Amino acid sequence: MITSKFEFRSPKDVEEAVRLYREFQGEAVYLSGGTDLVPRMKLGLEKPKAVIDLKRIVPLTTVEDQGDWIRIGPLARIFDLKQNDLVGDYFPALEASLEATSCESLQMRGTIGGNLLQNSRCLFYNQSEFWRRSKGFCLKMGGESCNAVPGAKTCFANYCSDNAPALCTLSAEIELSGPDEVRRLNLEELYTNKADKPFDLQPGEILTAIFVPKKKSIGGYEKLRVRGAIDYPLLSAAFSFVDGTGKLAIGAVGPKPYVVEMKQPSHDAIGEAVEVVLKQVRPVGNTVLDPDYRKRMIPVLAGRLINKVMEGAK
Amino acid sequence: MDREYTIVGTRMTRTDSLAKVTGSASFTADLKLPRMLCAKVLRSPHPHAKILNIDTSRALRLPGVKAVVTAADAHGVKWGVFKYTQDHPMIAVDRVRYVGEDVAGVAAADEETALEALDLIQVDYEPLPAVFNPEDAMKKDAPLIHEEYANNINVHVHIEVGEVDEAFGQAHLVREDTFHAAGEAYSTLEPYATVASYANGYLDLWMPNAAPHVRAKALSNLLKMPLNKVRVRRINVGGHFGSRSEVSPGDLVTSLLSMKAGCPVKLVLTREENAACTRQVHDIQATIKTGVKKDGTITAKEFRVVYDGGAYSSTGPIAASIPYYVYEEAYRFPNVRYNGYRVITNKGIRGMYGAHGRAFLCGNEMQLDMIARELGMDPMEIRLKNGLKVGEETATKSVIISGGLEEPIRRAAEQANWTEKRAGLTEGEGIGMGCVAVMCGFPMGFRSGSACYVKLNDDGQATIVTGICDTGMGNESMAIQIASEVLGIPVEDISLVNADTVVTNLDPGAYSQAASFVGGNAVKRACEDAKRQILGFAATKMNHPAEDLDIRDRTIISKTDPSKSMPMRWIVREAFFQGKPIAATGAYMPKVDFQREWIKKPYGQMAGTFSFGCSVAEVTVDKETGQIRIPHFVAAHDCGNPINTMAVEGQIEGSVQQAGVAVLTEETRWTEGLLLNPDLLEYKVPLACDMPEIEPLIVCSNDPEGPFGAKEGGLTTRMNAYSAVVCAAHNALGVPLNEFPLTPDRVLKALDAAKGGDKS
Repeated sequence: MITSKFEFRSPKDVEEAVRLYREFQGEAVYLSGGTDLVPRMKLGLEKPKAVIDLKRIVPLTTVEDQGDWIRIGPLARIFDLKQNDLVGDYFPALEASLEATSCESLQMRGTIGGNLLQNSRCLFYNQSEFWRRSKGFCLKMGGESCNAVPGAKTCFANYCSDNAPALCTLSAEIELSGPDEVRRLNLEELYTNKADKPFDLQPGEILTAIFVPKKKSIGGYEKLRVRGAIDYPLLSAAFSFVDGTGKLAIGAVGPKPYVVEMKQPSHDAIGEAVEVVLKQVRPVGNTVLDPDYRKRMIPVLAGRLINKVMEGAK
Repeated sequence: MDREYTIVGTRMTRTDSLAKVTGSASFTADLKLPRMLCAKVLRSPHPHAKILNIDTSRALRLPGVKAVVTAADAHGVKWGVFKYTQDHPMIAVDRVRYVGEDVAGVAAADEETALEALDLIQVDYEPLPAVFNPEDAMKKDAPLIHEEYANNINVHVHIEVGEVDEAFGQAHLVREDTFHAAGEAYSTLEPYATVASYANGYLDLWMPNAAPHVRAKALSNLLKMPLNKVRVRRINVGGHFGSRSEVSPGDLVTSLLSMKAGCPVKLVLTREENAACTRQVHDIQATIKTGVKKDGTITAKEFRVVYDGGAYSSTGPIAASIPYYVYEEAYRFPNVRYNGYRVITNKGIRGMYGAHGRAFLCGNEMQLDMIARELGMDPMEIRLKNGLKVGEETATKSVIISGGLEEPIRRAAEQANWTEKRAGLTEGEGIGMGCVAVMCGFPMGFRSGSACYVKLNDDGQATIVTGICDTGMGNESMAIQIASEVLGIPVEDISLVNADTVVTNLDPGAYSQAASFVGGNAVKRACEDAKRQILGFAATKMNHPAEDLDIRDRTIISKTDPSKSMPMRWIVREAFFQGKPIAATGAYMPKVDFQREWIKKPYGQMAGTFSFGCSVAEVTVDKETGQIRIPHFVAAHDCGNPINTMAVEGQIEGSVQQAGVAVLTEETRWTEGLLLNPDLLEYKVPLACDMPEIEPLIVCSNDPEGPFGAKEGGLTTRMNAYSAVVCAAHNALGVPLNEFPLTPDRVLKALDAAKGGDKS
C-alpha cells in the first residue's frame, strides 16, 4: 500500500509548525512517532497535502521537573519515558501503561503525545480504501450510519490509548498551542465523547506539553488483549492513589477514558465506581472479543488492579 | 543412537540459514529484471454479482500503462485440482463470487500509474444475493453460486467401513458432540508475488510455490501453451503451510500481462490481498459420534463434517478428507461412516493447511477424553489401547510399516511427567494429550514420484539436480545432507540445482510430506548410483575389490586396510579420461495404491509410510477471565530418523506456535464476505512472548522405506498441538469446549453453558 502524495516539512519550532499548517489551509497533519498516522495514511484514512514533522522541535521531546509539576514533552518516546526515573518514582500507573504499550520496537518509535492523540479504532473503519468502498462508508468516514451496528447513527469506535487512562488517574493537564492561543486544560477535557471525532481540538492546534502533578502516587495499569504484546487494548484499567484519593480510569470501551474518583478503595467503593462506568459504556462487536465479555471484564480488571495496588502499598 | 552416519542425524546449520538471517536471500518480490513492469489487479468489490460490462479503454490511454488484461485475454480454461472440480476461471468471466476476486490486471511503468489505471477501468456489476455460511448455502432457497453444484455442495466425500449402525447398537457407551472452528489465515511472512517474463514464445516464472512441476503444468493448461514453454524457476519461499500448493490467480494475470506487454511483469500482493485474495483455511463444523466397549476400545465412529469452501473448489475433495485420514491413521476403529461436505459460499478461496481440521481433530480427541472420564480411564490409556501399531491397517486399508502411536505417547508422557502431573493438578490447571498420524506423500499419479540426477565435477565435487522444493522448512539443506552422507564429501562440495522445471525432473513437491521420504529417497538413490560408479573405477585403479572400498571425507578408503586410500577426485578424473564421466540417476516412487481416488474409491494404501506424534500441553485457566496460558509443552514426533536433528526440532517448535498457541488466538473474522482482519494486527498470530517452554522429542522408528529411515519433519505436531491444548483446557475446566479458537470470551461462554446443564 502506498500513501497519497504529500509534501513533507520539518519545522524547527512550534510557531513555524502552526504557520505551515495555515499555509496548507488546514490540509496538513502533524507527525510525531507516526505509528498511528502512517498506517492511517496507507489505508487512505488520511490524505493530507502536507505532513508537518514535529520531531525536530527539541522542547517537545524533553521531560522537566518544574517543582509542583513534571512537564512531559509530548514527543518523548514511550521507550525512553518508561525508563525515566521521575516517571518511575512518582507515576507507577503511567510507567505500567508505557510498558504495556505495543512492543518495545514500536515504543522506540511511538511518542506519548502520539499515543494520547491516536484516533479511535474500529474493525469496520481501520481498513483499506478498497475494503471501505466495498462495504460502504460508515459514519466516521462521512457515511450515513454505523457499519459495526448497522443502522446506528452513533459511532462506536474505541479510543485505545494506553497512556491516557493512566494520565487521567494522575490528574494530568495538557497544553495546546494553536494559531490563536495557547491553552491549558485537564486531559479529561480533551475528549468530545464522540467516537467519530474524539478530540476537542481547534484546527492547527498542537499538543505542546503534558503536565502531571509532582506527587508521589501508588498505582498500576492492566490491559485486556489477546496476545502478550503489540495489541491495542480491548479494555484497559488504570488506577492511581494520591493524597488519600483514588482515581480509576477505564479505557478502550468507548471514545474516551471513563474516570471515577473514590476516597478509600474499599470493596463497596470499587463496586460503586465500576457501576458508574458500566452505566456509561456500550461496547459493540467492533473489535476482536465479544462485547459482552469486554463489559463483563470491567469489574474484574478494575477490582484486581485496585486490590493489587492497595495490597502492594501495605 | 549409535553414530551410524557421518552427517545424517547431526545438528547441522542449514545451508540456507546464513542468507536468510542476514537478509541477503532473495524472494520473488526482490527480483528485478530489465524493463520490468509493475502489475496491479482490479478486484471485485461484491461478494456475488454478474459482470455486465468491462471497459478498459480509459486505463489503456493512461500514459505509462503497457497492458490491461481481462478474462477476454485468457482462454476459458478453469482451474481445479481434479477434472470434476474445474470451476475457477482465475480471472472472472461473467460473474464474481467473492470480494477480492480478480477481474482485470494492469501492467504499468510504476505502481502509482498501475493503481491509477485500476480506477479508470469501468466494470458494470449487477449484484446477486450472496450466502456466507455453509449451512445457509445448503438450504433449498439459497442462491446457487455455481450451476453445477446442487445445494452449493462442491464435493461430498463418503466413506463407509464395516457395520456402523450395528456397532453403535452394541456399544457400551455412545457419545455425540458437535464442534466448530473458525477459519484461519496462513500468515506467511512473504506476501504472494509473481514475476513473469515472456520472450520468444517462452514464459519464465518465479513465485512462491510448493511444487514447480505441478505449477508449470497447471499454467500450461490455463495458458494453452506447451509445457516445455512454461518454465517455473527456483526462488526462495517465505512460508507455505499449504498456501502455496496450487496455482494462484495472480500467476495467470501476471503471465497474461507479460505476454501482452512483451516485458517482464511483477505482481506483489499487499498484506490485505494476501489474506483476502489468496487461498486461506476452511471454517469447519464437525459432528462426531463415537461408540466404545466398556474397556475403552473404539468400536464405531460416525462423522458429519461441513467445510466452508469459499467460492471455488481448489483442493476440494482433499481438503474435505484429510482431517479424517490423519485421524484414522492414528487410531483403530473397525466401523466408520464419514460424510464430509465441502460447501461453496461467497467467501474468499480456501485451500489446504498444514494444520487442517482443527475442529475435527481436537473434537475427536476431547471427546475421547470425555469418554475416558465416563469410563474411569486415564486419557493416555485409552489412546494406547486404540492407537495403531506396525503391521496394522487403517480403516480404509493403509498398512502401517513403521512407528505406531505407542512410542510417541509413552515418550511424551514420560517427559511431561504425565501421571504425576495429573495426580497433582490444582484449581485451574490442566494437562492434555493430542495424537495424530500423518501420511508421507499421497497418490498423485505419475507425479507421486521423484527423480534426481547427480554429476561429479572435475575437482571431485558434486552437482545434484532435483525437483525438490523448499518453502522454508529446509528441504534444500536436507537434500544436500543426504548427498553428502552417501558420496562421502562435505556439504560445501555439493551444488544443488533444484525446483526448476526445465532443468529438474518430476517431484511431487513440498506438500503431503513427500520431500524427505520421496524426494530424499531419489537423491539418495542417485548418489548411491554415482558412488557405485566411483568405486568401480577405484577398484580398478587401486587394484582392490570394490566391495571393500568406501568414500570418506573426499577419499577412497579400504574398509579393512587403512594403508589403502586415494583422493576421490583422482577417480573422478580417471572417469573423465575414459570418456565415462560420473553421472547418475535415481528415482523413487512411493508404494501407494494408485487406484485410490478421493471420492470414487477412498480405500487402499494412501501413502508410502506414516509419521506418528503425540503432544502434551499443560495449561492454566483463569476461570474469572477465561484466559488460558500454556506454561509447558512436550511434543514427541516420530520422524523415522532425523536427517538434521536441529531442523526437525525447529519444525516442531514452529508447529507448537502455529497450532498449539494459535488455538487460543487465531481466527478469520467476517462481515458479509469481507474479512475483518486481513492484517497481522487484528489477525492474532502468537508472538514470542506468548510461547510456552517447549521440549521437542524426536522418536526414531527407522522407517524401512525412508532415506536413512526418515519420514517427515514435524507435521504431526502441527496437527496435534491444538488437540493437546484443547484437551488440557478441558481437563482444567471439566466442561465441553465446542467453539474454537479458545479465546477467553468463548471459554467463559462454555463455563456459563455448563452451569446451565451439560457437565461432562
